[in-house]
Amino acid sequence: MSDILLPAFIILIVLFTLLGSGVWVGISLLAVAAIAMEVFTTSQTGPLMASTIWGASNLWSLAALPLFIWMGDILFRSRLSDDMFEGLQPWMGNLPGKLLHINIIGCGIFAAVSGSSAATAATIGKISIPELKRRGYDEKMILGTLAGSATLGLLIPPSIILIVYGVATEQSIARLFVAGVGPGIMLVVMFMAYVAIWSFLNKHKMPETAESFSWKQRFHSIKNLGPVVLLIAGVIGSIYMGIASPTDAAAVGVFLSLCLTKLTGDLTKESFIDGILSATRTSCMIAFILAGAAFLTTAMGFTGIPASLASWIGQMGLSQYQLLGALTLFFIVMGCFLDGISVVVLTTAVILPMIETAGIDPLWFGIFIVIVVEMSQITPPVGFNLFVIQSLSGRNILVVAKAALPFFLILIGAVGAITVFPEIVTWLPNNMN
Amino acid sequence: MRAMLDKLYVIGGVLGALFLFGIFLIVLLQVGANLIDFISSALTGHAIGLTIPSYAEIAGFMLAGASFLSLPYALRHGTHIRVNLFIQRLGAKGQQLTDIWSFLIGTALTGWLAYYAWELVLESYEYGDLSTGLIAVPIWIPQVSLALGTTLMSVSMLDGFVSSLMQKDFFIKAENADLGVE
Amino acid sequence: KDVWNMPTPYPDGNFHTVNIKTFADDVRTATNGELDIKIHSAGSLVKHPEIKNAVRKGLVPIGEFFLSRLSNENPVFGIDSIPFLATNYADAERLWNASRPLIEKQLQKQRLKVLFSVPWPPQGLYTKNEVKSLEDLKGVKMRAYNALTERLARLSGAVPTQVEVPDIPQAFATGQVDAMITSPSTGANSKAWDFVSNFVDVQAWIPKNIVVVNQKAYDKLSDSAKSAIDAAAKAAQTRGWEASQAETAAKIKILQDNGMKVSTPTAELLNGLKKAGSEMTADWAKESGADGQEILATYNK
Ligand code: NA
Ligand code: NA
Repeated sequence: MSDILLPAFIILIVLFTLLGSGVWVGISLLAVAAIAMEVFTTSQTGPLMASTIWGASNLWSLAALPLFIWMGDILFRSRLSDDMFEGLQPWMGNLPGKLLHINIIGCGIFAAVSGSSAATAATIGKISIPELKRRGYDEKMILGTLAGSATLGLLIPPSIILIVYGVATEQSIARLFVAGVGPGIMLVVMFMAYVAIWSFLNKHKMPETAESFSWKQRFHSIKNLGPVVLLIAGVIGSIYMGIASPTDAAAVGVFLSLCLTKLTGDLTKESFIDGILSATRTSCMIAFILAGAAFLTTAMGFTGIPASLASWIGQMGLSQYQLLGALTLFFIVMGCFLDGISVVVLTTAVILPMIETAGIDPLWFGIFIVIVVEMSQITPPVGFNLFVIQSLSGRNILVVAKAALPFFLILIGAVGAITVFPEIVTWLPNNMN
Repeated sequence: MRAMLDKLYVIGGVLGALFLFGIFLIVLLQVGANLIDFISSALTGHAIGLTIPSYAEIAGFMLAGASFLSLPYALRHGTHIRVNLFIQRLGAKGQQLTDIWSFLIGTALTGWLAYYAWELVLESYEYGDLSTGLIAVPIWIPQVSLALGTTLMSVSMLDGFVSSLMQKDFFIKAENADLGVE
Repeated sequence: KDVWNMPTPYPDGNFHTVNIKTFADDVRTATNGELDIKIHSAGSLVKHPEIKNAVRKGLVPIGEFFLSRLSNENPVFGIDSIPFLATNYADAERLWNASRPLIEKQLQKQRLKVLFSVPWPPQGLYTKNEVKSLEDLKGVKMRAYNALTERLARLSGAVPTQVEVPDIPQAFATGQVDAMITSPSTGANSKAWDFVSNFVDVQAWIPKNIVVVNQKAYDKLSDSAKSAIDAAAKAAQTRGWEASQAETAAKIKILQDNGMKVSTPTAELLNGLKKAGSEMTADWAKESGADGQEILATYNK
């Protein structure tokens, strides 16, 4: 054990030093991985770095990410985003929490199209952060709801991480997807309940809006919502018509956004160029961090640290609940430093046998792991939602992480809930066909 | 020199954007083909079977192009994120020092990566490695984007290093300025 | 003491990985722990597309991959994926013996030494609707993932459709594809009954995984370690071929137990498919030149 703890400790110190001294996140990850490889293994660091980064960056499954980011950039530069908020105002203005729920509902819907939480945060946040700020909502809540609910991209199908888990453990991806639906809806409800309670207790922090809206106003507002509803229906519809895979659907989204903004007269040569260049910059930033994370994953694979830590837990002879508790803690700690998919890739081979020995359903465990990985998206220093939201809002990741803390705690609550009531996960897949 | 380097970064950014547009186009073509098939099977009961060969693999290659070639362009715009909580609290002198340090590490690391990326390109070329899909693409061609992009990135990192030594501001503007969020 | 990291593409439960674990144990025992092969399954260390080149470059000394992935590089690598050339294990073994020298020669050019190769179960046809004749395949959207599967789909009157592995369940559910060709293993492991209801055991071809070692890394081993690894490889190959046959029966049973309609192909369907197969064999022989014709001559002897 001690032969693993010292390297782990050194690697953490290096990571904190680099990040804390202002070195870019992508570069820091690459540097830590390179140092770990050089110091703790006998492998050829340079060639491995080049080949890992190449392998991790020409992936079809990632191609949807820049397209969705671009879609957000197109909408952000158009009247459509403002129209959508105006249109939703009469519908949500009476709810405690008002438009703050938009981040949650928006991410919930978008998660049904996108498999990644970074794409979800980037697309929804690009539109919602400025709109909500302009309407005087509390910044902490704007950032927190966005960071928290964008993690739904992982749980509500389609989901990249459920595919990775399904392939690594030979579970049915179709069943895993179905299993994610129940907990996904549960989390949406939990997030909304929190926002409602918070706004009830913090009335002075909520913006003044008309107290109540008539049904006439509501129906009048539908014309504002029309284009966005059309967009969502088009993207989801293209998948269910069988003419687009979930990745293809991102291109459909871009196409429809371009058409709609053309119709509203928002699409000019300048806005088009601005939009695609901005999307290129943002997606290149995320891709570079992903590349760094991929190399850190490989480096960790060569050092064997995560697998050793996992098997150390396995040797403690824990009961079922103790094991799940220990694993939750383990994943939260690992999730602070590695991205979620890496944690799954590096540890499933060790953890799955423990799970099966303990009599835990691997299908249920897949959902458990995804919720825990969702937490890792919003824990510093390495959390992808934090990175995306820092780049959108200009707020430091620690500020964003603090804003997201309540949602982190809700996710822990969700883990507790599915542990006590596993039917939340297993009922739908068991009643399939 | 300044103008020339900036031009270089912008060219990289524009190439990256063109690749992003390329991904959009090739995927949209395939979806369009699927739509024609969908309509054709609804009308005649038979799909035609239109495919853009290897579109997924080629989209992946273009993704690499979009991601790597625009690296320095994004750096110049301050898009690459860093944890600035602590450095914000330092004075101007301290910030200059952390910039010098960050750019130094960035130059070394991306330069190192660029060296091995070119080696990867060369090896793929020498062995004639091909992609596995319907269209056999020589792998070295898309790999050039990794090598070229990281090379440009290390040039821009060096540029930033020199700029911060000379106490000039390297970054064009804060990325979020156009969001109306501070 | 030497530790060799070995990346493999498939998960721990897969029979290929199980076989390789035994291989590693054999080597460890025979060398008294001098050579310790550490398996990193499911692409956790190196992803499948990069494994061959990682071994070639010596980034890892040893690795496993799906042989006909390389068929674009040289048609010889694709010989085990020509439809209806070798459709039972005895033929597949003869084909492997006939092609092994040339495959070894080609891989040697990349500094890769072949240790052993283990087949997947024979490829079968998964369809949404029942298929009794070639006519039933007409206009059916069939998954294609490389030049060979695309050709086969076209020749049998189906419509080739590109679908990436993770999108398969959704593609079936939404009608993007109606049919695919893969092994009973892959079908059972991905719980194919969740999205298709028919399995026709057409036994189209028997593709293989191959385990290669970097020549330089191998040369550096002591003589005793070399013979230990050779012996373990030989045993792994025999064991793997037997495991593959057991796997076929077991996985077809799983398909059946989960309510899939498992059938043997009608003579009409099989003849139609075989016609497509012989056309593809002829094309392959032309494309692969002298090497290919040499293999086919040995195989047909
Ligand atoms: Na999703
Ligand atoms: Na984290």
